[in-house]
Amino acid sequence: MVDSYRFLDGVAKRVMRHWSGFRAVRPIPWTPLTKPLSQCTVALVSSAALALNSDRPFDIQIERLDPWFSDPSYRVLPRNTRTSEVQVCHLHINPGFTNQDLNCVMPLERLAELVGMGEVGGSAPSHYSYVGYTLRPEQLLHETVPSMIERMRRECVDAVVLVPV
Amino acid sequence: MMPELTASTGAPRIAAVEHPFGLTVGLPDDAGGQLAVLRATLQALAAISELGDVVDLQFEWNYDAELNTHPPQLPPIASYLRRHPWAFPRFFNRTPPEPTPFKTA
Repeated sequence: MVDSYRFLDGVAKRVMRHWSGFRAVRPIPWTPLTKPLSQCTVALVSSAALALNSDRPFDIQIERLDPWFSDPSYRVLPRNTRTSEVQVCHLHINPGFTNQDLNCVMPLERLAELVGMGEVGGSAPSHYSYVGYTLRPEQLLHETVPSMIERMRRECVDAVVLVPV
Repeated sequence: MMPELTASTGAPRIAAVEHPFGLTVGLPDDAGGQLAVLRATLQALAAISELGDVVDLQFEWNYDAELNTHPPQLPPIASYLRRHPWAFPRFFNRTPPEPTPFKTA
């Protein structure tokens, strides 16, 4: 069984165990997969706060000024995005791994390979990233996520893989 | 990563992998390892038929070298709590104080 707390110690472990005891305030959503993966368009979502170098970076000053909050917006990464085209704006992880290889947290190239092998129907034109840390998720949940979903629907996404960091 | 925490948020399907923070899919330049994790995740997505089910992906993290998964600087909340330890109960219980108005970039 996967140990959720293997890479935590001390206070962090205590906090995460406690947070794991909280329960979602709404029913779990369920949409059955109605076709095989080989016919599905898949989108990836990463909480690593990734932004294209050509795009506006996430505003890390928001979190520096209010440590309970973070930039609630999202960024779009096209499916052919490469490591050198991306910056990591997350203040809680070591960005070095992603700076070396984007696929550590946003496996776009790996998804493209699965598409090439016929195991996945397609990689969505757009993939997404947001700042995974916030203790005030209201704007993220009520504005950011619906906006991502709307775009995914326009691009006929069948399934989404959320990659936490 | 942390399937118990993810389950508490109400995720409909969870593929659990025991990897360190910042290395969810695998090590840099380990294309084979990353592909295996993504493939197994998608297979779990297709196989899970019960709401909220968790599939433990069978990948062992046996990387011997010391990996520094910590950020270059202490995260703002950690610095804040060091300076204001009385605020820790709010953090522990996820009850942040009311926001202070500020300007975004």
